[in-house]
Amino acid sequence: MKIEILGSGCAKCKKTKELVEQAVAELGIDAEVVKVEDINAALDYGVMITPAVVIDGDVKIAGKVPTIEKVKEWLS
Amino acid sequence: MAEELKITQGVKCACEAAIIGLYACAGGSNVGQMANKVAVELTKQGKGKIMCTVGIGGNVPGIIKSTEGTDEIVAIDGCPLLCAKKSLERAGFTVDKGIVITELGMKKGGSLDLQESDVNEILVKVEDALTN
Repeated sequence: MKIEILGSGCAKCKKTKELVEQAVAELGIDAEVVKVEDINAALDYGVMITPAVVIDGDVKIAGKVPTIEKVKEWLS
Repeated sequence: MAEELKITQGVKCACEAAIIGLYACAGGSNVGQMANKVAVELTKQGKGKIMCTVGIGGNVPGIIKSTEGTDEIVAIDGCPLLCAKKSLERAGFTVDKGIVITELGMKKGGSLDLQESDVNEILVKVEDALTN
């Protein structure tokens, strides 16, 4: 599983990455978490507001920090 | 400069001020093109963020999710057909403010080439409508 965190490196983006990494660790799943700061990658997904979370190419959220419960729901 | 760069690149960070999503109809008439031009100018001024209205109709996931991430949704339609507003509502979004260019004094029909003086006049009216 590949999880991409799209964002500029701002506070909300960092928080989102931390939450996703925590969820992955707590669920004990095998996933690659990648921080993507290339804005063109966001645009390629149609994402116009960051932070955004993309799991295996599927945009899950944009412009908001997800809750850890929501991240776990996506990963389950 | 940093803000200018972000706008050019087309992605806005939610860490900044509340995000006002601007959805112009960008339709095939002078007023549709004016709607788009107004959205562009408001974005350049930092008063909102131009979004992809067609992506709403196309149910493009990244654009739908980005719309869910906005704090306010503004539909800018050229004429009373309200295509932008209706597209947003059909997708399940609540439009917080709706602007209709023809209601601001511009007649539908005529050249697709916009005059700078007309753009400036309509822009002032849209700014007024958004603040009231």
